[in-house]
Amino acid sequence: MIKSAMILTSLLLFTGCAITDVQPWEKETLAKDTMTVNAGNSLFTKFENHIYFSKEGSKGGGGVAGGGCGCN
Amino acid sequence: MQLKTKLSLVTCALLAASTLMAEDYVSIQYVQYDENEDRASISSPSIEISKDFGVDYNLKLGFTADSVSGASPTWYDTTSGASAYSRGKDIHKDDVTYRNINYEDDRKAFSALFTTRFESRNELKVGINYSTENDYEARELSAEYLYYLGASKNQSLSFGLSYQDNEIDVVCIDNEACDTSSGASGKTMDLNVVSAEIGFTQIINHNSLAKVSLFYINEDGYLSNPYMNVVRSDDPNSSFVDVVAENKPSKRVAYGLTLQYTVALTDKLSSNSSYRFYDDDWDITSHTLSTELYYELGESWILGGGLRFYTQDEAKFYSAGYFGDEEYASSDKRIRPFDAMNYKISAEYKVSSALSINAGFNYYDQEDNYQDDLDNFNATYYNIGLKYNF
Repeated sequence: MIKSAMILTSLLLFTGCAITDVQPWEKETLAKDTMTVNAGNSLFTKFENHIYFSKEGSKGGGGVAGGGCGCN
Repeated sequence: MQLKTKLSLVTCALLAASTLMAEDYVSIQYVQYDENEDRASISSPSIEISKDFGVDYNLKLGFTADSVSGASPTWYDTTSGASAYSRGKDIHKDDVTYRNINYEDDRKAFSALFTTRFESRNELKVGINYSTENDYEARELSAEYLYYLGASKNQSLSFGLSYQDNEIDVVCIDNEACDTSSGASGKTMDLNVVSAEIGFTQIINHNSLAKVSLFYINEDGYLSNPYMNVVRSDDPNSSFVDVVAENKPSKRVAYGLTLQYTVALTDKLSSNSSYRFYDDDWDITSHTLSTELYYELGESWILGGGLRFYTQDEAKFYSAGYFGDEEYASSDKRIRPFDAMNYKISAEYKVSSALSINAGFNYYDQEDNYQDDLDNFNATYYNIGLKYNF
């Protein structure tokens, strides 16, 4: 149920997007921390990526720099 | 018209100034992570300092110290008095069991990221990472270039490349680390990892943007867990088996695709959604779908909530049971087929224009179809921290 809701929500969010030419002074909202993963908390994002790496069989897709981890 | 242009320029300057000022900060974070039934517990304090030098340069320094304790599940010979990790041949099946083995470790990680912004405002980021554990050492060098397409900077390309050199101290326990001629008690094994990523970001309108990325990871070297065992049995009718070290391939090539979509649904509510597809030559395919919502309550609070769904297939050499004489064999639960859900809530409170504090709570729930001790891989973790802009 939750999985289906997530997929449906994502599809709805991706629809109806028309690309417009945004001027620099119109980018205030886009510059907010809340427009980034974990609201811009990079320390917590790093830790969370290590959690996923230590528990799951796949990784990557969030940038090339991640640091090492003896989690194999 | 001139007034509008001037106002625009002033607005731009203010926005640019506020963004740049926000780059100077000290952030401290503490995370406590606990898996069910005390399987693993991690205490992780960390600090990050970000400092601008003029408008063209930025330096970020980070340090983390993880303290890890818990137990890792593997097969072992219960009659062995030497070590829980002891291996051996012709052991009676009744004396072989799959249980958690206790361990402790400390990890210290240091990172530095230097950003250069060119006249075109394109960016080059160069980073180094170093981390060390009791039996592990990793060095990483990375570079990422951000290239804007057009003067409006509504589209950009990013190119990232990293190289990681890992050294693993493998203890001699009836494995490849044993050298009978020298009598050494262990051996240092290498693992080299090359990662590459290409991304394209499109600003869709004044309150939403999307990014698509392709990534590639090439791992070459020692990819086994030096403490993980498997059980091999040539004859299914025999009551005796061999407990030996797991053996994963020494090479792994992976690629994937990430889609991200961020939108401000209202002035106060924003959403960050992403999908990741991953595939590698170990036959692991995974799908990750996540979404986070943030709500700005008044002038001081930001409340967050998120869900992350993950599903993966098993590696071609994985088995939860016994193996025959296959070259590659592993019972590592990380490469088994499973689904996982992650539930997240968070709150941030702005004490003043310079200081904010934050806290979050997360629950990770992993499920598969045939293991009977699933709860061991569930985890809760919380974080508290503060950020001071200067």
